[in-house]
Amino acid sequence: MPKFILDGKEIEFEQGQTIIQAAKKSGITIPHFCWHESLSISGNCRVCLVEIEKMPKLAIACSTLAAEGMVVYSESDKALSARNAVMEFELINHPLDCPICDEAGECKLQDYAYSHGNGESRFNEEKAHKDKRVPLGPLVMFDGDRCISCSRCIRFCDEIAKESQLTFIKRGDRVTIVTYPGKQLDNPYSMNVTDICPVGALTSRDFRFKARVWELSSTKSICNGCSRGCNINLEVRNNQVLRLTPRQNDEVNSFWMCDHGRVNTYKFINAEDRVDSPYLRRKGALARSGWDEAFAAASSELKSYSKNEIAFIGSPYATCEDNFILSKFATQIIGTKHMDFIRHFNTSFGDNFLRQGDVTPNSFGAKAVGIFPGKGGLDLDGIIKAVKDGQIKAVYLMEDDMIAFNPELQEIFSKLDLFIVHATNFNKTTELADIVFPASTYAEKHGTIVNSDGRVQRLKPAVATFDVDRALEGMSLSRWDKFGTKFDSWAEGNKRDARSSWRILAGLSGAMGHKYKYGTAEEVFMDIAKSINAFSGLDYEVIGELGAKLKLDSVTKPVIA
Amino acid sequence: MEKIVLPDIKDLHLIDVYIQNGGYTALKKAFSQTPDDIIDQVKKSGLRGRGGAAFFAGLKWSFMPKTSSKPKYLCINGDESEPGSFKDRQILEFNPHQLIEGTLIEAYAIQANAAYIYIRGEYHKWIKLLEKALADAYEYGFVGDKMKEKLGGNYSVNIYVHKGAGAYICGEESALMNSIEGKRGYPRVKPPFPAQNGLWGCPTTINNVETVANVPPIINKGWEWFSKIGEPKHPGTILYGLSGHVNNPGIYELPSGTLLTDLIYKYGGGVPGNKKILCVIPGGSSMPPLRGEQIEGIKMDAESLKAAGTSIGTAGIIVMDEDTDLVQVLARIAKFYYHESCGQCTPCREGTGWMLKLLNRIAKGEGSTHDLDLLISVASNIEGNTICALGEAAAWPVRFMITRFRDYFETCVSREVTIPVANKVHSLRHTEYPLAPIKD
Ligand SMILES: Cc1cc2nc3c(=O)[nH]c(=O)nc-3n(C[C@H](O)[C@H](O)[C@H](O)COP(=O)(O)O)c2cc1C
Ligand code: SF4
Ligand code: SF4
Ligand code: SF4
Ligand code: FES
Repeated sequence: MPKFILDGKEIEFEQGQTIIQAAKKSGITIPHFCWHESLSISGNCRVCLVEIEKMPKLAIACSTLAAEGMVVYSESDKALSARNAVMEFELINHPLDCPICDEAGECKLQDYAYSHGNGESRFNEEKAHKDKRVPLGPLVMFDGDRCISCSRCIRFCDEIAKESQLTFIKRGDRVTIVTYPGKQLDNPYSMNVTDICPVGALTSRDFRFKARVWELSSTKSICNGCSRGCNINLEVRNNQVLRLTPRQNDEVNSFWMCDHGRVNTYKFINAEDRVDSPYLRRKGALARSGWDEAFAAASSELKSYSKNEIAFIGSPYATCEDNFILSKFATQIIGTKHMDFIRHFNTSFGDNFLRQGDVTPNSFGAKAVGIFPGKGGLDLDGIIKAVKDGQIKAVYLMEDDMIAFNPELQEIFSKLDLFIVHATNFNKTTELADIVFPASTYAEKHGTIVNSDGRVQRLKPAVATFDVDRALEGMSLSRWDKFGTKFDSWAEGNKRDARSSWRILAGLSGAMGHKYKYGTAEEVFMDIAKSINAFSGLDYEVIGELGAKLKLDSVTKPVIA
Repeated sequence: MEKIVLPDIKDLHLIDVYIQNGGYTALKKAFSQTPDDIIDQVKKSGLRGRGGAAFFAGLKWSFMPKTSSKPKYLCINGDESEPGSFKDRQILEFNPHQLIEGTLIEAYAIQANAAYIYIRGEYHKWIKLLEKALADAYEYGFVGDKMKEKLGGNYSVNIYVHKGAGAYICGEESALMNSIEGKRGYPRVKPPFPAQNGLWGCPTTINNVETVANVPPIINKGWEWFSKIGEPKHPGTILYGLSGHVNNPGIYELPSGTLLTDLIYKYGGGVPGNKKILCVIPGGSSMPPLRGEQIEGIKMDAESLKAAGTSIGTAGIIVMDEDTDLVQVLARIAKFYYHESCGQCTPCREGTGWMLKLLNRIAKGEGSTHDLDLLISVASNIEGNTICALGEAAAWPVRFMITRFRDYFETCVSREVTIPVANKVHSLRHTEYPLAPIKD
């Protein structure tokens, strides 16, 4: 491989790579604002100016191609003085309103001002002013004063979202961002601009002023909005999820996520209507019960039906671990062959970028770990028909609001003699249930899900429940958690008495006289890897933060209509 | 004295008069030779660009790839927006066919598939005049499809007149190309240069109106003839623009290397009221100004002016007499570049405004010597750090005016550092700012 020298270090590069790219591959970050790995080069911020031997002028590292034997200095007097000069220019008209700016704490301008700024200003004139608090679209707010005109947001819309909605207008220090006449920043990926905006010029209208970012703990997780499985960070304060941000995974979502995933998939976690303990129907109404009481009730009820009268419905929202145990429970303990799960498909949601028509995170995994009818058993349509006909008298449903999904089922399912449901929130389906178990959400448990490409990815708890111990599970902490704050009330009010579905099933099977040996989700997964070919060779370590592919030849992709 | 670009011929702008005077014969002659022959002759003639940088025209043409799967383009730059510069419009008005003929020859030499003549929007009248001339040339078969029939051979090309919308920056070659493409007039990051990646990403050559207007005579009369006019290193005549405090302002076509003092006194008729000259900007407002006592013996060509610490630019000479308020002048120049900065890159976007604010404060009598140093520092921080040369265009007048007229400016400011109290503590304990050595 050819090499060049950066600040005395040899850097390998590939033909066609720029200095900044090659340096980054070698773990060296040259300061930059406008450059972004997956956007075109605009070369406008000038903060990446470096000195190159034999070149008369400084050159920008983001657009200058690396060449064999090139000698580059990013820390020489000349390079530093240019960088300081650019930083001074960036700051002269900047409002410096960090104390009230959402970006503070994750702001490139703030970071570079610390590391490369002069620490004091030579600018004593009136600052230029621009429009503030301009809604560019339903989800993004613009502050013109803070904008450093790096054009990242414009390039994102043009090149990634492929809907040109933003542009610069005016000239000089009057330049500012607007939407094109008659347009809004409303593409399905619009909020990514709030992540790539290096400053607080573009902020999320969903998150604005909810928290200082250093108060948040961040947990690596996966979006549950559709079967793409975009990698995300779950950002939590005081046991409440306050925002989701995309996490880079070049195999899945690059740097991005869709707005639906970002704003519509976490609020149910914090919602008031969470199921917070087991419930039993007494005199027509659901009433809170203890776990043992609920297990005993479910156990004795289930035992009163013959196995052919019971059907199980797994969940494309639940983890592989949950579905695996459900399938085991159904086939081994109950012995029924009637088992399936519900496909949730929305063609208008899918696009040719990230969003998938299958709007559940784990239909692939649910099927792969065994949620399908046994030989001669009923599939979903068969189960519904059999419920209608009275042949199926008991249904055990895990984490799916099937009645909301198909209101026609309401009448049919009210015929059931026994309806046991695992649910995260009270909903249309729990209204019909005889026994409701409180299920943990994807943000409250360990587990794996498989995206539409057959990629297994990991969920980790970010929100504490009675079921997960913050210390034991190694949950992430925010700065304030670590150092103590009045906001830190994890241990208090907000904890819910919910459990992972697999653990609920394990408890129930214990009550039915059959003890599962699993202590953790990881142990369940080890069993999956042992017993299901597609998962062989995988464990939580191998899956890691970025996931791992299933052996696709050994599993057929679930057909989703 | 021979005039090449603006000869004293009545009604030369009419196509028939132009033809009667030998017009469009260079085109026929050029078409009988290979494109490389033409480039070679232009190279040997020593013709240098008249758009500001005095780059060798033939050399620039030779950068065009000989084989290319993409179309090639020619752009002629008539954006002429630099204060002090008003020469190209004379060509558009009085000798448009020589521009058209030069454009056709250059297009042939670089084998362009189309040529664009870009003219600043404010030149309504001159755009009309050129469009009329172009329509006539089309009718006579010199341009477009009919060329093949009229001139023989296999080459034909269309010329389009493109009107700017009022932005100085669109005279910068890559901004000009973006403008033609219908985009914001933002200069592009170079490399890649236009010869590789120009208009619509295709190989493109760009030349100034005056540069191209010199081409037909070079083909007709030969490169040797041309190379002997004026200074050997920057041969030919130059359209000098005289403005400011001179008795006879205007455009003077004279051999390169004409003495600056001759231009002002012999041709320009001297300074009104016989006042002394305080300052002369020799090449349009962006070029480093000279002190009145510096101009004796200075020749007006690229090399001589470089040696004198300034630059030929567009040869727009701005004369300022002893009663001129240089602070106002500099503030006005700074305002122009502030207004025209496209705002794309940080140092120019922010720095032009800062310099203007400082100068306005000094003009109000509220400046200090500290501000003069700050101005020089800000200007130096812009220079060399920007995407395009507007950065230098904005910084040079400030840095050179203040360094060359330091004595003058010191009389306009106080020695007391007058900065707001709130900032005082901060700025007075100002740590040494790491700066590249100030260039002079
Ligand atoms: C800010 C800026 C403005 C410019 N304006 C003009 C102009 O109005 N006309 C022009 O011919 N060249 C202008 N130039 C120079 C062009 O970029 C280019 O160098 C020139 O057109 C090349 O022609 P030449 O080689 O024939 O001189 C400008 C350059 C800059 C940086
Ligand atoms: S809004 Fe943000 S991303 Fe867009 S140009 Fe301004 S600073 Fe850059
Ligand atoms: S594309 Fe799918 S997985 Fe990705 S963020 Fe959107 S809903 Fe979530
Ligand atoms: S130097 Fe000025 S005019 Fe040129 S690209 Fe930068 S901001 Fe625009
Ligand atoms: S990162 Fe290179 S110019 Fe902005």
